[in-house]
Amino acid sequence: MGISHWVRSMSNPPNLMSTVKSEWIKFRTVRASILGVVVTFVLTIGLGALITTAVRGHYHEMDPLRKITFDPVSTSLGGTLFAQFAVGVIGTLFITSEYSSGSIRTSLAAVPQRTRLVIAKAIVLIFSILVVSEVAVFITFQLGQSIFSGVVPTASLSSGPVLEAVLLAGVYLTLLSVLGFSLGLILRQSAACISVFTSLLLILPIVMFLLPQSWQTSYSKFEPSALGQAMMSPTPAVNSFGAGTASIILLAYVVVTLGIGTMLLHHRDA
Amino acid sequence: MIKIDHLTKRYGDTVAIDDLNFEVRPGVVTGFLGPNGSGKSTTMRIILGLDHATKGRATVNGQDYADLKAPLREVGALLDAKAVHPGRTARNHLRALAASNQIAKSRVDEVLDFAGITTVADKRVGGFSLGMSQRLGIAGALLGDPGILLFDEPVNGLDPEGIRWIREFFRSLANEGRTVFVSSHLMSEMAVSADQIIVIGRGRFITQGSVDALTKTAQGSVLVRSSDPTKLRDALVARRAEVDESSDGNFTVNGLTSDEVGEIAFAAEITLYELTPQRASLEEVFMDLTADSVEYGHKPLGPVHE
Repeated sequence: MGISHWVRSMSNPPNLMSTVKSEWIKFRTVRASILGVVVTFVLTIGLGALITTAVRGHYHEMDPLRKITFDPVSTSLGGTLFAQFAVGVIGTLFITSEYSSGSIRTSLAAVPQRTRLVIAKAIVLIFSILVVSEVAVFITFQLGQSIFSGVVPTASLSSGPVLEAVLLAGVYLTLLSVLGFSLGLILRQSAACISVFTSLLLILPIVMFLLPQSWQTSYSKFEPSALGQAMMSPTPAVNSFGAGTASIILLAYVVVTLGIGTMLLHHRDA
Repeated sequence: MIKIDHLTKRYGDTVAIDDLNFEVRPGVVTGFLGPNGSGKSTTMRIILGLDHATKGRATVNGQDYADLKAPLREVGALLDAKAVHPGRTARNHLRALAASNQIAKSRVDEVLDFAGITTVADKRVGGFSLGMSQRLGIAGALLGDPGILLFDEPVNGLDPEGIRWIREFFRSLANEGRTVFVSSHLMSEMAVSADQIIVIGRGRFITQGSVDALTKTAQGSVLVRSSDPTKLRDALVARRAEVDESSDGNFTVNGLTSDEVGEIAFAAEITLYELTPQRASLEEVFMDLTADSVEYGHKPLGPVHE
């Protein structure tokens, strides 16, 4: 049973980077993440192509008023409205799968510094989803413009606000995946989390629609999906924040939820 | 060295652990014994910093677990063998663990080999039998070559060969000078695998000692068969012995040694046909000790009411 030859005096103590490495191994070695990334790609680019093709087909019969406000940028990024659920699920499962399997205890026994564990997971999630999302949104943008070209007005990345809108579309997806992750930390159950996440994006706007017009005008721009729309539009729409402000508000949502999640992780028994 | 110091854990009104105090020393296998629900797993979770103590402290090498810089290199634990992401392979699971504590990747192959699961290392853990999962858990516990090892009910799910392997394994870990702390609800298992035993029930400390000492503290009884049961009985009762008479005139005497019973019989001029000291088995000692503290005891089942 020769297991005692191991050198105990290994000098380098683990740090945040070792936790990040460990979480990166965890992230890439489960099917859910890989599948989630593929779905994100397919939804962003595939549905983007579908939407732009449909718009190209109907553009000539669009009423003039809508033609004036038509935005080729956010329209070509329409696939993100679907991909946002995929990234949300990736983020959620990254933590809730540890609760459902019980492996959260193994993780915390290996890294008892709970804040460090959360930060490491968030770093891994942010980097992976940011890379995937940015690649996906740039592809779908270019594809969309080439589909529009000749029939529908197009936009170009050489314009500052357009480049910013496309970049922020990727940032939006990344922030939503961290939001899903934070909800996972708070709720610890995949199903509950995904319901809440979906409600925030889909049900909240419907509820808002039932409120008096003045409330809608003042508050609907705070919905996560409205913030996303603002982030990926080069020119702000009516009753909407500018891209920069929208990004900061969404970031604040994410930071607050992540903070609450981290606090709960500290206080709860694992 | 593990030290439990006035440890108390409450869940609402339920007291899971009630003022526990004990030490687990290196160099021996220490059994942690108690009926199901007696607080063994909770104690182990608190040692690992997973659950927070309501009062008191649990320390490893004099430190709170949460303060350990590289915990896997000091403490290896197997609490729940199935607590591994089912979609990940055994090797990747261990690689992630190793990375978190700056343990070289080569060590993963070593512990896989040691636990005898190299051939299934690249299979998803979800398909593992409980026995295979236990072996993976053991591999994980050994990853950092820790001086302290905790195992919660490790023999569950193992086949006889695996059980023998794990007993020898505990022994060898202790012989290497490590602290080995193993919980079980089976006294018979502890009797063969542990040197020292700590017994708890309903979260309370009951007793502690070597396997031999514990058996000795058990109240022995003496089985007696004689020519004149009635007379002997009176003579024994006069000496404050506790006598349980059975239908055929035999009886069991508690509170006296066989020597004393023999002398009393001789003095009373009664012929003894049989005089047998009955040593309580470790299992009986345990049942006796924890009789009042079994949380999920069975009750007689009545007939179905129509």
